[in-house]
Amino acid sequence: MDAPRDSSPAMAFEKDALQLTVEDVYDISYVIGRDLLKISKAGAQVSDLQFRIVRVLEMFEVLVNKYNLSVEELKMERDNLKRELDRVVGEKSAEQGSTLGPDKMVVDLKDPNRPRFTMQELKEVLQERNQLKAHLLIAQEELQLYKSGLLTGPHQSSESAMVEVELEPAIIPVISPQITTITEEDESKDEPKDEFKEEKTTIRKLFSFRRK
Amino acid sequence: MAKKTYDLLFKLLLIGDSGVGKTCVLFRFSDDAFNTTFISTIGIDFKIKTVELQGKKIKLQIWDTAGQERFHTITTSYYRGAMGIMLVYDISNAKSFENISKWLRNIDEHANEDVERMLLGNKCDMEDKRIVPKAKGEQIAREHGIRFFETSAKANINIEKAFLTLAEDILRKTPVKEPNSENVDISSGGGVTGWKSKCCS
Repeated sequence: MDAPRDSSPAMAFEKDALQLTVEDVYDISYVIGRDLLKISKAGAQVSDLQFRIVRVLEMFEVLVNKYNLSVEELKMERDNLKRELDRVVGEKSAEQGSTLGPDKMVVDLKDPNRPRFTMQELKEVLQERNQLKAHLLIAQEELQLYKSGLLTGPHQSSESAMVEVELEPAIIPVISPQITTITEEDESKDEPKDEFKEEKTTIRKLFSFRRK
Repeated sequence: MAKKTYDLLFKLLLIGDSGVGKTCVLFRFSDDAFNTTFISTIGIDFKIKTVELQGKKIKLQIWDTAGQERFHTITTSYYRGAMGIMLVYDISNAKSFENISKWLRNIDEHANEDVERMLLGNKCDMEDKRIVPKAKGEQIAREHGIRFFETSAKANINIEKAFLTLAEDILRKTPVKEPNSENVDISSGGGVTGWKSKCCS
């Protein structure tokens, strides 16, 4: 006579309380109702109890329903927050790559003509260039002096005496002593054997190998 | 017996808007040449020219600056060392003339207080394209108490005159060195010797 549905309604009693669904509550109601029917001949007291049990089961139904809805809602809420987080993180990283403040510049790393050096680096390169240029001019001038026979002796032109141009931009103009220094004809001109004990000029450094 | 390579070194500086012809003015003076192709100066460059004034050989180290704003920090660091500054504008370019006050402010801010200044209105060969009257250049120079020339690097007008005048003005302010200071012992003069201490040594 008890034709159980797919499984026995009594199985609902075995379940974990937190796993219960409203269907389980209905199964429980069915089983309790059936059992009460068996003892209903006992009288009015059983009938009263029966109403109370129905009431408790109705409350149970509401609670299980409510609980399951809450779990579902929380799961949805969690998934929504996850998606929102992914979106915000994605936007943020995209922002750093493209949208910039008014003073910022976008540099295409594939552009061969993109800016690569800082102003400080350019400044240093230019300083070095100008220094080399100054040395070249000094060497040329010295060569000219040698050619014209003005520069022969050891004393008059240590290398430092020939450094004539000042390249340090931030320095207050300084006329260093060598600027007003005159290049003298040296008396030792006629005794050239001692010449190379003295400091060598740039040109002399370049040509000294000939004398070795 | 003494033979001098030079007696004095003057450091000059050329400033002014991009394209007014600073590099051409300098090239005309140093190499007596002119080139029509415009190559923007990168940052800073210099040329050397030795002139003779009042029997003195004066080596001029002339710094040529980039007029472009982006090189501002590099170029202004060279103001401090200059003894003379040439401020160049282009008579066919109103903006370059309007910017004179900006350049003068730069001088006030970055150069030595006693620097010799000079105003040049370049490209005066281009009379048909003239926008700035000569009188306006003269007026602004007068207001600031500085010398003024209209020049043309292309036609070689007033270029040498401008440089020599500026050098003369600096020479006039330069303390006369004592006769016996000619034989300064260079080996002991390695330290930094200032202009003033030099004249008193």
